Amino acid sequence: MRARASDFVNGVTLVGVGVVLLVFFFTGRIDQYLHPQFRPWILVAGVIFCIMGVVYAGAKSTVQCCTGGECVHHANNPFRSLLTFFVLFIPLVAGTVFSKDSFDHNAVLNRGFVNDITRLPGAPSVSKTTSDQAIIPPEMLGVDIDETASQPLPQDDPNRPVSSPQSADANPTPASDDGSAQYLPKSADGNVALDVTDLLYAESEESLRKMFTGKMIEVIGQYLLGADTKHFKLVRMFIVCCAADARPLVLPVEVSTPINASDMGWVKVTGTPAFSPNGERMHVVLKATKVEPADPPADAMLY
Amino acid sequence: MSWFTFTWQNFLFSFLGLAFEGLPFVLVGSLISGGIAVFVPSRLITRLLPKNRVLATLVNGLLGVIFPVCECGIVPIIRRLISKGLPVSCGITFMLASPIVNPIVAFSTFVAFRGQAPWLIMGTRLSLGYLVAVIVGLLLQKVNPETILRERTISIPARRRLTFSVSPLLDAGDGTVTSFSQKLVTAIRMACDDFIDTAIYFMIGAAIAATFNTAVNQEVIQPLATNITLSTFSMMTISVILTLCSTSDAFIAATFVSFPMVARIAFMVFGPMFDLKLFFLYSVLFKKRFVVYLGIGLFIVIGLICSCLLPFFYASQGF
Repeated sequence: MRARASDFVNGVTLVGVGVVLLVFFFTGRIDQYLHPQFRPWILVAGVIFCIMGVVYAGAKSTVQCCTGGECVHHANNPFRSLLTFFVLFIPLVAGTVFSKDSFDHNAVLNRGFVNDITRLPGAPSVSKTTSDQAIIPPEMLGVDIDETASQPLPQDDPNRPVSSPQSADANPTPASDDGSAQYLPKSADGNVALDVTDLLYAESEESLRKMFTGKMIEVIGQYLLGADTKHFKLVRMFIVCCAADARPLVLPVEVSTPINASDMGWVKVTGTPAFSPNGERMHVVLKATKVEPADPPADAMLY
Repeated sequence: MSWFTFTWQNFLFSFLGLAFEGLPFVLVGSLISGGIAVFVPSRLITRLLPKNRVLATLVNGLLGVIFPVCECGIVPIIRRLISKGLPVSCGITFMLASPIVNPIVAFSTFVAFRGQAPWLIMGTRLSLGYLVAVIVGLLLQKVNPETILRERTISIPARRRLTFSVSPLLDAGDGTVTSFSQKLVTAIRMACDDFIDTAIYFMIGAAIAATFNTAVNQEVIQPLATNITLSTFSMMTISVILTLCSTSDAFIAATFVSFPMVARIAFMVFGPMFDLKLFFLYSVLFKKRFVVYLGIGLFIVIGLICSCLLPFFYASQGF
């Protein structure tokens, strides 16, 4: 009787874990927690947990599972089964009900901002290929089409110094006539729609700086209060695998008049980027002309 | 800003992230364990294992190449293999090496350090991981397994493994399970038992890691990056607390640009061998005292190699 009760509780725990995983997968909430390559595992694991739970609760435990006729598993102890239920299942249910699927400003500040985005895996989204977005030809990103003369990008070669403020064009002329503008993704308002990462990559990539300077740019991110009312930070979390390793990427924003936005609320900022030297690096500030509340993007995390 | 700021919102988000990332891998490990229990005869394991103890240890350190399992899934497999007759010292070598010496980790390390001498970093990581795992395995060959293994975790027939032994043991369900469907159900039940035994410790480790990840101000650790020895041991301590998966920790290590490369190597070698969740997972199989000694031993050995020897090697490579 004790064994049957234990089997039942264990079975319920496994099915419960499976259901939680499936709920997160089918509601899309898993997108906030995991990198895309890990998400299919949640579906597979959820199904397997459900099957395992049913088999466990239904099958007769007549076979010996350990050597010498002595079972060493703790799972057939009812108290152990209840402990498993409370440690394994209840926290997942509590997370399902109470988690807001995002960090607040304390986590962002505790983790510290990423200072050099080129050290992170990935690439600026403007150079990625997407189905609904034109591809920027390599030569527009500053790549020499003559292979013998090609040089790696700064993020690929740490020995190559990042463009110094002296050599970099601190105030380049608007590059609207260089042919690259037609390849930049546009928003419904006709502004250039970028990610925070694009502007941060531009700090170390002159071709991107030329491409973005002088353009009216639109960026979506989370509002984080700055040092004063005329400055704030636009935050996007960058993940490698899961939310636990998320690192905050921040884009400094300057506004002419104080704005009223909720802490870590999603906002759309429209403005022009300004690149200026700071030590050996270029730094970007988005001079905003408009800041308005926005819906969170489908993928709140960048990767 | 305070060094510790706990909020439930951050804790739950980070905790669920770790759980969702890790539980499928614990499940995979448990399924493999259940499969080994029912479908792999003990005689096969003992026949394939070299009879020479040093050679057996060296071979076990390389099993991850053909049997890539991350550290979350390795414990149930090791428990099962030891039950099947694998010597404890070989099991520990496999347990410590396989989360590092496997093709997935090699690839992720190479990608994460692209542009930063990736071949050298990847080679150093895998070589050092293998070396340390083999050293630990060789050292443990003379140790009585009963002083290491937790009571009632693995049944050891009387005096069967008091020395290095590869004697085949009884298989699960010997004489009672015959048909394939019966074997399958048995394998599933065993996988469930293994999962339940293991996952409970994984969740405790994940909860502690989530608290550190979100509540502790990371600025407090930045001053530690200034000295090679201090930064090496600091990075290993950080790896204990962050409890990252070995398949992805290289991407995190690569972002600690203020820390010397040897410190990041130490992070990537020590972390997959011992961290908070592994402390609890290893406790499923081994006595607490052994787990603590293992952790301290690995901490000192890897720390000394990385802070004292590795800088000379890297200097000779012009790095």
